[in-house]
Amino acid sequence: MKKFNWKSLSLFKNSGASALTFRAWEFTGTAMVNLFIFTLLAAYLSPLVYMVATSLKEKQQLRDSSAPLYPARQVEFEYEGKSYPVLEVPTEAGIQHWAIITHTRTRTSAKFIDPANPEAGPIAWQGNWRELKTVYTPYATFDNFIHLWTAAKFPLTIKNTLIIAVISEIGVLLASIAVAYGFSRFRIPGGKWLFLLLIATILIPESITLVPTYFFYVRVLEWNGTWYPLIAPHLFGNAIYIFLLRQNFKSIPKDLDEAAMLDGAGPLRILFSIILPQAIPAVATVALLHFFYTWNELRQASLYLGIVPNLRTVSFNVQTYQTLTFTPETLQASALLVMVVPVLVLFVFQRFFMQDMVVTGMEK
Amino acid sequence: MAFSKNPTLSHRPANPQDLLRRREALIGLLFLSPWMLGFVLLKLAPILASLAFSFTDFYMLTPEATQFVGLQNYLRALGDINAGASLGGSLGYFLFTVPVQLLAALALAAVFSSDRLRGKVALRPLFFMPSIIPAAAILFIYLGFVEPRTGWLNRLIMEPLGLPPVPGPFTGMSFTILLGLMAMWSIGPGFLIMYGAMQSIPREIIEAARVDGAGPFSRFVFISLPMISPAIFFALVINLTSAFGGTVLLDRGYLFSFSLSPMEGYINTMMFNRFELGYAAALAWIMFAVTITITLFLFRSARRWVYFPNEDDREEI
Repeated sequence: MKKFNWKSLSLFKNSGASALTFRAWEFTGTAMVNLFIFTLLAAYLSPLVYMVATSLKEKQQLRDSSAPLYPARQVEFEYEGKSYPVLEVPTEAGIQHWAIITHTRTRTSAKFIDPANPEAGPIAWQGNWRELKTVYTPYATFDNFIHLWTAAKFPLTIKNTLIIAVISEIGVLLASIAVAYGFSRFRIPGGKWLFLLLIATILIPESITLVPTYFFYVRVLEWNGTWYPLIAPHLFGNAIYIFLLRQNFKSIPKDLDEAAMLDGAGPLRILFSIILPQAIPAVATVALLHFFYTWNELRQASLYLGIVPNLRTVSFNVQTYQTLTFTPETLQASALLVMVVPVLVLFVFQRFFMQDMVVTGMEK
Repeated sequence: MAFSKNPTLSHRPANPQDLLRRREALIGLLFLSPWMLGFVLLKLAPILASLAFSFTDFYMLTPEATQFVGLQNYLRALGDINAGASLGGSLGYFLFTVPVQLLAALALAAVFSSDRLRGKVALRPLFFMPSIIPAAAILFIYLGFVEPRTGWLNRLIMEPLGLPPVPGPFTGMSFTILLGLMAMWSIGPGFLIMYGAMQSIPREIIEAARVDGAGPFSRFVFISLPMISPAIFFALVINLTSAFGGTVLLDRGYLFSFSLSPMEGYINTMMFNRFELGYAAALAWIMFAVTITITLFLFRSARRWVYFPNEDDREEI
């Protein structure tokens, strides 16, 4: 789709058409790019729409297979102290929404009451009442969220996870930036073998070092029931982030740091005033990815925090709660609650990707 | 001097060139020290222990009865048809996710770098959001989508278009849908990395090419792609590791019992269902041998296509 625009644009340039044609093409191109993205967006948002719709439903609706996809509830009509379901009844005067009060076993006839005119009394109707459709009205409930908020201890666990996330975030960023700088800017004898070792640690599955690591943390360091196993490993940098940052640092030309070196700037100064300002998008990517990692992390938390309910993280506590009392609508509601903080962080942090806008703005 | 690399200069006791080099290496090692320290303190012992376990019949319920069995676990893996199948499955998974996650992420990042797109501030998080849905929730979203009678896929897409309904959740066709949806909904990290790399390209270079008459397509192929090739290389290696059960970039909060990678799934079954740690470790080391070989091959190939502005920076491994 995009390719088409580009070709048509360059075609226009060669032919030297009028400014009006140019503007028309420009407009079509913009419209098509936006249309494409918004179509794609529908596919990307469908799981979230599903989550929201399910979390707003009541338990009865999830059992009812003829219910609509949006949160709704059956319409009922109260008649002489009892409530009856309202059905779509085909009559000579078109489809009527009537409440069914009695029906025969043979499914051939039933008696209805017209909610708009209950004084008229029961109306007899011939036909198979079983095939009539139930009338629904949109009805959303926030009970799932309200109940979860206290039952799954969201305020406490969000606080816990935020503390862990912020500490390990600072540690992992500082250490990974330093190590990536070391790998990208210094000639170290055997440096490439050290880098290969770093890559090798990424390739070894976590589950296989789990037993010795657990033994080391729990028996040797006595870290069971603390946050240390969740924080300490990140303070030494993370191999994936080091790799990502190293790729980025290496793609920054050396001219500027060589000039700064001649002016007498030390390695730390070069890192902070020359490399980092040019690597902000990559650093922001790492910061975001690590935050989402800590927020959703479940394996380590379930290993070491099982014995201390008050120190549990969001994802672990929600997991425990779901294991005990599982229903689809509370599951989706809890997942949405878990996602609130990461989405907020994403909205705030994306400013760091907007560098291009600032630069072009200054140039104009 | 013993340290000197240049034999012609070695007769001088301390030439300035040499001292500078040694100083550079020392400072470099100082910057590497956090990771090296962490590796020695926290990683090395467990890795060596798992290597040792792979030569024993370590059974997690009776660890005291562990005995050295030599290469028996490795020989068993060679004859294990399920191990071979899951290794092949991981390779297939890698070949499947690379085009989806890498090319799609790249295309999305390219569209997002276009000035024509409106509302980027709102769109970026929206495209990322499916990637942070917790694992448990996403499984039930999938079930809600493909449920034969009430599923959204049948009621909203297949039925209105007059297409035959999609069958139940765990049949062949639906499993392909699951893989496709999961790959699409996990595009976030790849997108962020590609987009971040594109934002790092100096605007002047692109502007200069535009002035020289390069169209958007050639600007993308001849400037953007080489400039972000280090990020593409990174994404390639990460896709490889996650397909084979190494570290993943995106954690949805999976429990140990669950993994999208067939090989890791098989290793985890051996470990957490059958408690055969010795055999699981042997499987993991065989898998490691495969992945490190592919990785080394990727690094070799990177010399040809990964661009770094500094000539001496070419991938060396």
